Amino acid sequence: MSENAHRNELQERIDADPETVEKGLVSLVLTIVELLRQLMERQALRRVEDGKLSDEQVERIGLTLMRLEERMGELRDHFGLEPEDLNIDLGPLGPLLAPE
Amino acid sequence: MADTSGGWLYAVARELDTDALAGLRGVAGAPVYVVRDAGLAAVVSAVDLAEFGAEPLRRNLEDLDWLAVTARAHDAVVTTVGAAAQAAVPLRLATVCLGDDRVRDLLARRRPDLESALALLTGRTEWGVKAYADPEALASVNPADTAGPSGKGGAGTAYLLRRKAQLSAREKAERNAAAHADRLHGELAALATAARRHPPQDPKLSGRKGWNVLNGAYLVDDAKADELAAAVDRLGAELEGVRLELTGPWPAYSFAGIEQGAEQEPR
Repeated sequence: MSENAHRNELQERIDADPETVEKGLVSLVLTIVELLRQLMERQALRRVEDGKLSDEQVERIGLTLMRLEERMGELRDHFGLEPEDLNIDLGPLGPLLAPE
Repeated sequence: MADTSGGWLYAVARELDTDALAGLRGVAGAPVYVVRDAGLAAVVSAVDLAEFGAEPLRRNLEDLDWLAVTARAHDAVVTTVGAAAQAAVPLRLATVCLGDDRVRDLLARRRPDLESALALLTGRTEWGVKAYADPEALASVNPADTAGPSGKGGAGTAYLLRRKAQLSAREKAERNAAAHADRLHGELAALATAARRHPPQDPKLSGRKGWNVLNGAYLVDDAKADELAAAVDRLGAELEGVRLELTGPWPAYSFAGIEQGAEQEPR
């Protein structure tokens, strides 16, 4: 990344012009949705691993999660966000979402 | 010194060759000078309190352009002082005293801390080692594992299986990266007089790809500097999926040890 790109990124974080605020809000909301999606996915994988679900149930859960992921991608594209934009730096605790 | 100016401190040194500082300019382009107190030499330059007093300083430190210029000037002086002295304790950015008498007060008050820091730094140099991990290489992902359907089930089942493989590959990569980083730090710290692990750098700021799994600082005897470089080369070649970067010599910011609460692991 060039030095200029760094600077712009840093400025974006602290400037409070309306467009930035809107983009910030959208990415915050999508970050929360993405967190929930990932939690659901992990929970589903755990249940599948337990082996108590029927093949049909597994297929249905898989399809649901797959569509959620697709939808998430569409929303990101719509707002011009990259996957790595959807995260919150929790300081010493690290990022909210593990990078994919 | 007039009321409107203060002294910006760069470093406290022992056996400083003042000739090497001739013509050196620091923050805001002011020439640097030396304030002495029984064997300790503080390197200072005058700053205008309208810009560098407590209140304006706090505001200015949030201005990234101002901060970049100031930090570069500060670091340039600290580096020069480090090269011109037997040992130098670098001071954090924005240490401002209201006049040379206050600088002498500070030297007198912190003398025991400063002297022990100088003793630790004499004949030793700080080096930085960063390790960047390539997640894919660390997980040694077999493309066949993530390729998809294993026969039974439809698209949904295939998706779940694929995600499961991706997540477990990632977990494996994280475990490997942490183990590599611990081993690296252990081996490098064994060569050092003191070692510290700093928090990993944000890739947005460093502009580098890959996980920064180790951001270590090592205070090494000058006689052992070659050994450290050789160890970095060897470990870099040994550990697959990890790239090492040796930087330095640095002013001993990580081991000056005069800030309160600074963590250090003396060995």
